[in-house]
Amino acid sequence: MNKDARNYSLSALAMAVLTWGCAWGLLLWLDGRVDLSSMAMLLALAATLTSLWLPMALSMLGSLLAVLAFNWTFVPPRGSFIVDGQQHALLLLALLGLSCITAVLMGRLRWQAAQAQDRARQAEQLRDFSERLRDAARPHSLASLLRDELQQFLGAPVHLMILKHGLPAQDLVSAVLLLGDEAVDADQSTGLWLCLRNGQAFGPGTGRHEELPAWYLPLRGRMASHGAALLDLTMPDSTSAAKRTHAQSLCDRMGLALERHATEQAALRAHDEAAGQATRNALLAAISHDYRTPLACIMSAASSLQDQAARLSPAQRERLVATILDEAEALSRMTDNSLQLARLDAAGVVLRRDWESVEEIVASVLRRLRQRRAHLAALAELQLRVRLEPGLPLLNCDALLLGQLLENLVDNAFKYGGDIGVEILVRCASEGAAEFVVLAVRDRGPGVDSRSRERIFEIFQRGVDSPELRPDGRERHGAGVGLAACRAIARAHGGEMRLRVRSHGGVSFECWLPKLPAPQADEANGGAQ
Amino acid sequence: MSMRVLLVEDDRELRSILCESLRLEGYLVDTAASMAEAQALLKHSQTPDLVLLDLGLPDGDGEVLLQSLPAGTPALVISARQQDGVKVRLLDAGAADYLVKPFSISELLARMRAALRHRGVHLRPALTRYQQNGLVIDLAAHQVSLHGELKHLTPTEFKLLARLVRNAGQVVTHSTLLADVWGAEFTEHTHYLRLYMAQLRSKLEAVPADPHLLLTEPGVGYRLLAEAESG
Repeated sequence: MNKDARNYSLSALAMAVLTWGCAWGLLLWLDGRVDLSSMAMLLALAATLTSLWLPMALSMLGSLLAVLAFNWTFVPPRGSFIVDGQQHALLLLALLGLSCITAVLMGRLRWQAAQAQDRARQAEQLRDFSERLRDAARPHSLASLLRDELQQFLGAPVHLMILKHGLPAQDLVSAVLLLGDEAVDADQSTGLWLCLRNGQAFGPGTGRHEELPAWYLPLRGRMASHGAALLDLTMPDSTSAAKRTHAQSLCDRMGLALERHATEQAALRAHDEAAGQATRNALLAAISHDYRTPLACIMSAASSLQDQAARLSPAQRERLVATILDEAEALSRMTDNSLQLARLDAAGVVLRRDWESVEEIVASVLRRLRQRRAHLAALAELQLRVRLEPGLPLLNCDALLLGQLLENLVDNAFKYGGDIGVEILVRCASEGAAEFVVLAVRDRGPGVDSRSRERIFEIFQRGVDSPELRPDGRERHGAGVGLAACRAIARAHGGEMRLRVRSHGGVSFECWLPKLPAPQADEANGGAQ
Repeated sequence: MSMRVLLVEDDRELRSILCESLRLEGYLVDTAASMAEAQALLKHSQTPDLVLLDLGLPDGDGEVLLQSLPAGTPALVISARQQDGVKVRLLDAGAADYLVKPFSISELLARMRAALRHRGVHLRPALTRYQQNGLVIDLAAHQVSLHGELKHLTPTEFKLLARLVRNAGQVVTHSTLLADVWGAEFTEHTHYLRLYMAQLRSKLEAVPADPHLLLTEPGVGYRLLAEAESG
């Protein structure tokens, strides 16, 4: 019993004593002035009043004592318990009966009020717990709260066992979360597992294993149980059935929350898996489509060299060899792009970032393009303009990846944007408060129709389904994986790819990268001295 | 005297193509398809002048073999692209240069020539004079001239250039350059290199934005064009 309750009963006792004192004072004063039955009415009033404050038994005892004292003091012959005359006996008996009935009625009223209060408190507790469960990201985090609530409610130690994921085939300790002050013994553990697997409560009053000194309550969901609670019953009392119902309600709230969480997780996993599968399928489709064309070129050129070598002119042979080299290069780049796509799509990918100079990245791209095209006489002279805004900051990036991005864009521009008018433009730009470095590859080609613009960076969205995209009839091969890789690279750097239509024809593929504060280089000279 | 090359490559097709091409160029070629074979060859036959080393071997990491090479034998690492980190580590651990698969024979031959030229650099006096495309660098005299015109370099610029000349034709990693020019505690300060390479290019390159001498190896380091190469 807590301090408040003790204070309350003490003050109730004081009130009762005060009431009796006042009543007796009044009676002694009234003695001889009014008749005995009126005085008895006053006594009945006092007994009724005290039963408001005192427990039933105490107030009945008080009434009995008061009636005896009344008899002793006022009922003639005075100074004895002998009742003289039938009238007085009836009066005393009626007085006693009235006091007792009042005490019983009052006691029942108080008991019902207490029950209602308990029920209200329990309902409040359930509602509060449900709300906290609803707000919790993982219901497991509220296991200790549930244990505290149960312990406080029962005033006895509670052990909780909660499934971490699914139900294991065997009773594995590693599959559950165990909460309790002391470790459970083997019997208790078996009991918890049995309760969890069967989804049935047992212990006193449940009709199952009545002899146990504890309740085993399952944390029930709609489909199955997700845990079990062990409630120690060292001091069971008369309200245990109601208490068990409430404890079971608390446990079931937890069970439902656990079940909801498990269902959500399963749905999320299924969704992720489906998305991953879709990406993989698209990637595979793109790869198998894109790889066929260069492979076909290589196959036909190589077999022609093998079968018709004697009849081919040196110039024809050279052209075939050049085709093989060029297509092998294309295959190699597609492999790089596919690998990057797969790698950058994976969660938790770490880039090898460093402070890089845009000028150097562009220069290495130019060099690679020149090397690749060296064996193609027609493209030996690279028609590519480079414009770098002066004062560009260093970029914190993976230089190889950004090089690959630019190379893809330049390849794309030459393939679909025509051989002249392609340029690389790197500049700083701002949108609102955000500052960017924009790497753009621009062409003067036929452009991209509005329907494909949104989807051109998706894997295998090359507009093969929109014939008007290729007015010159050229195959847009390789752009699928290439542009998708560009977007993956841009996003891995915290940036984004954009496609802009230029006002005098052509398009600009732009990689917008957030501008980061560059390191200070002024101490560079000092270190070298 | 022809040079002896040990080719360690597990892919049979690539091994035979490379072997034939190298023999056509006049090299004496030993081939090994595994670590064990390569180690046996190194132990029992004549020490090669150069080792071509593929990283992904069936019975171990090429990195181990790199450690057991006789001093003064340069190794050219052949790697797949996704192994960038490994590439840099091997270069810092003493590999002479690297090639990314797929590569052309002409590229391989050029890298081999550069590696052989610097073979045993620690035994012989280092190269002190570099000449290419009108650029003359005289390390002993501390002089740099372009098309006969003397160029003024700051002390740091000169140290950086001299470090690249010592390994002309080969890639020198960022951390090696930073450690040798600025000091061991500056190996993370890649941005110094960006600044000084840009300054060097603006003084020595015809088109600084499209350099032909001071080349960038993205993610790895820098390379000064080899004297015999044209590029």
